[in-house]
Amino acid sequence: MESTLEQHLDDTMKNPAVVGVLCTDHQGHNLGCRGSLSDEHGGVVSVLAKQAAALSKDPTDSPTVCLESESGNILVRSHGTITIAVHKIAS
Amino acid sequence: MTASLTAGLDRIQDQIGYLVISEEGVLASAGELENDEVTAGVMMQMVRTASRFRLSGAAEPPFKRMSVILEDFVYTVTVSGQKVFVVKRQNNQQEPISV
Repeated sequence: MESTLEQHLDDTMKNPAVVGVLCTDHQGHNLGCRGSLSDEHGGVVSVLAKQAAALSKDPTDSPTVCLESESGNILVRSHGTITIAVHKIAS
Repeated sequence: MTASLTAGLDRIQDQIGYLVISEEGVLASAGELENDEVTAGVMMQMVRTASRFRLSGAAEPPFKRMSVILEDFVYTVTVSGQKVFVVKRQNNQQEPISV
């Protein structure tokens, strides 16, 4: 199972616009990461996803949070109990 | 006073509501976000959380703009001075992008 996740992370990094990817559980524990995103980002990423979920009245609606800056966009989205962050730059 | 506070948010064509928030609370609000203290509170929490996000080696603030994309709506958040500006828009997203 872990190797499948690692494979997905590697595959995501193959996209030339992607410079970092991170997968955390709902407590912010790092399940796997690549590139510019690392252990230290897990907490913020999972908390942001949790806070964003409070904005939707529909519990099945999973919001996407996008942090836009000079160094690209960080996209955060939860899928069940796990949260994915992708760091993309303009390609 | 109110006109300068909203900083032109009311002139954004497709907005359906906006908030201007400071640490003290909601300074201005309109449309679907009128007096929406709950959304204001969540947005302030999110801005605080997002401010702690730092990419290694980056000295700049972690974000210029934060968007929260829901199925039907998009919230766009910017910070200027001590104020947080939130605009709510309809989500006119067409097809989901396959990544």
